[in-house]
Amino acid sequence: MGNQNRQDNGLAQADDQLGFAALPDKHLLGIEGLQRPVVEAILNRANSFADLPPRESLSHLKGVTVFTIFFENSTRTKVSFDLAARKMGASVVNVPVATSSIKKGESLIDTAVTLNAMHPDILVMRHQNSGASLLLSNYVDAAVINAGDGRHEHPTQALLDALTIRRRLGHIEGLNIAICGDIANSRVARSNIHLLSILGANIRLISPTTLLPQDITEMGVSVYHDMAEGLNGSDIVMLLRLQQERMQGAETPSQREYFHRYGLTREKLALAKPEALIMHPGPMNRGVEISSELADDVERSLITTQVEIGVAVRMACLESLAAGVLGRQKP
Amino acid sequence: MTDVLIQNARLMDPSSQRDSLGDCLIRDGRILELSDQPNTIKAPKGAEVINANGHVLTPGIIDMRVQSCHPGAAHRETPKSLAAAAIKSGITSIICLPNTYPVLDDPEMLISQCRMMNGLASPNKDLRVYSYGAATVGLKGEAMAELGLLAEAGAVGFTDAIHSVANSLTMRRVLSYASMLGRPVIQHAEDPMLAENGEMHEGEHSTRLGLRGIPDAAEAIIISRDLSLLRLTGGHYHVAHIATAKGIALIRAAKAEGLKVTCDTAPPYALLNDIAVRDYDTRFRLSPPLRSEADRQAVLEGLADGTIDAMASDHSPQDRDVKSLPFGLAETGYSGLETLLSMTLSLWHGGYLPLMRVFALLSHNPSQILHLDGGKMAVGSTADLTLIDLDRGWQVRGADFASLSVSTPFEGAPTQGVVLGTWIGGKRVYDAATAHQTANGTR
Repeated sequence: MGNQNRQDNGLAQADDQLGFAALPDKHLLGIEGLQRPVVEAILNRANSFADLPPRESLSHLKGVTVFTIFFENSTRTKVSFDLAARKMGASVVNVPVATSSIKKGESLIDTAVTLNAMHPDILVMRHQNSGASLLLSNYVDAAVINAGDGRHEHPTQALLDALTIRRRLGHIEGLNIAICGDIANSRVARSNIHLLSILGANIRLISPTTLLPQDITEMGVSVYHDMAEGLNGSDIVMLLRLQQERMQGAETPSQREYFHRYGLTREKLALAKPEALIMHPGPMNRGVEISSELADDVERSLITTQVEIGVAVRMACLESLAAGVLGRQKP
Repeated sequence: MTDVLIQNARLMDPSSQRDSLGDCLIRDGRILELSDQPNTIKAPKGAEVINANGHVLTPGIIDMRVQSCHPGAAHRETPKSLAAAAIKSGITSIICLPNTYPVLDDPEMLISQCRMMNGLASPNKDLRVYSYGAATVGLKGEAMAELGLLAEAGAVGFTDAIHSVANSLTMRRVLSYASMLGRPVIQHAEDPMLAENGEMHEGEHSTRLGLRGIPDAAEAIIISRDLSLLRLTGGHYHVAHIATAKGIALIRAAKAEGLKVTCDTAPPYALLNDIAVRDYDTRFRLSPPLRSEADRQAVLEGLADGTIDAMASDHSPQDRDVKSLPFGLAETGYSGLETLLSMTLSLWHGGYLPLMRVFALLSHNPSQILHLDGGKMAVGSTADLTLIDLDRGWQVRGADFASLSVSTPFEGAPTQGVVLGTWIGGKRVYDAATAHQTANGTR
């Protein structure tokens, strides 16, 4: 009972501090361009949601309709948004893509106009093309959350990664965070580079030259091709999945060679700081970017915590955007 | 045909460097007399007399890179809409790319395309229409097309249009055979393997936007290879819409070496860079892609020092549907005819180019590259002329275009330079005053 009170107070305090519209824009399309206080506010709010008991449901978004539409396959992100919306009391419609009239080749704008006629308050979309969520946002009245657009951004993933780190280590400022793997094809990498930079971390990328995009150092990161060098002194090792579906031809010689040079094993992890933690946005390719044994090491791996925190972060994002949409609808 | 006397015009002829206030008398489609003193030529009996009020009279624009969309893509552009867009923009000749449906790789197709373009453009909207022949069968880059027959049918040069001839052996043969025919080979210089699935210029901005990059080397590789081939074959090689510093440097060196090499660019590459793509606006999805600021500066230098010989519209019409897609799925291309003159003039307004150089890029030089009639204003030459108010301002609005294609990277841009009149073979095909009246009358 006492514990329940503490939670309620926490939420009430967060409400007082933030109101409901912590995000400056109507939509959440990316991390690039967000200011640190905004990011901190969202993380604080999400942090209080993360402290709620697992079965606790809220009614903050009662009457709000959330549509999710995933043009690319997804399990965790889709379920996470769905659950987050339901926990906040919203109505959720998962728009089927593969089994419906919306198929590859049909215009995204036509789909947007059709969905808009059903008056959703928030649209959560994942699409295989960079910039698709921005395009969608131009054609709908709803607030749009980008749940991943091509190789561009995946903002809620970065927010949940940041909150996961903050809850475990207490801070992000000054941490050495190594992001390893397929940077070129990764929207998670881009969003994390932006977000963790905003929060004051030192970011190092560990990747073969063929999986690094041009001029990436302009984004304020340091680059390593040798995993041992890159891991030295790292507090966090963030692994990325080899994005085989977004690759063109052979960007690395073989999975065997990739694992040899860039797969995380216990021996390589020993080169990082002694208490260094492992993260992965999932889904993992065991034996390609991470050894199976490490992936399951609860002492070092934050991978399941990331999934858990994801729901809280998405609750905070949905709440923030709903406040904006509903506020605008007032006469 | 009635004589036409244009009085008190600033006569600007890039072929003779004439720049004087004077008169121009036209008879039977040709220039009969020019005077370097205003109001000194006496109007023949019954002549139509036009007071140019000091505005610029110059050879009509010869636009050496136009996708006609005819036959095969009337939803993007028709001969009529194309002609209307051209003549109101001071363009008197266009040279069409062979990437039509079917492809212009057959002499009969080429002849009928030019005839149809002229005939369908309506009797009052004359336009000189020329075509390039395909360099290879079906534009597939493998077997050489019937270059000799195409040349006899009127092909002014050979090109695979929006594709590079990637096969070195095929390119060598095309260059060699075309040299025998005295026609240039026009290359879209972009290594197709390196540029595969590319969405924009490769650099910091493609990295930030998560779009697939096309490195500048894609242009340089093809130009460099083609120059090596040209040293084997001889002949005339022309690079279309050149857009990178590396490519321009190669052309500059080749010219110094004495190779017969020319190139053109288009206004977007002189005025815009890859930062324009930042909102995934498909109006900026072009081929070649908008390059870096350093590349844009190199284009300006190339235009100023003569490395770049011509400015073409690169008119590549697209309908709304294929532009209303996520950036990577949208088609490349833009409606270029109606901004060609004013955007090139902006390089003079901005102090980058002398005014005479602007007209050389637009008319005289293309006529020299392709051995065409026109492109000069001299006694006895064909009266393809345009009268231009250099300073009058307007705002680019795709919705107001005569072209069916309304997508322009210059949407909303304020610009200067308005065509007051266009004559083709001495016949007035455009008059801004009556065009305006007609527009008002239909309101």
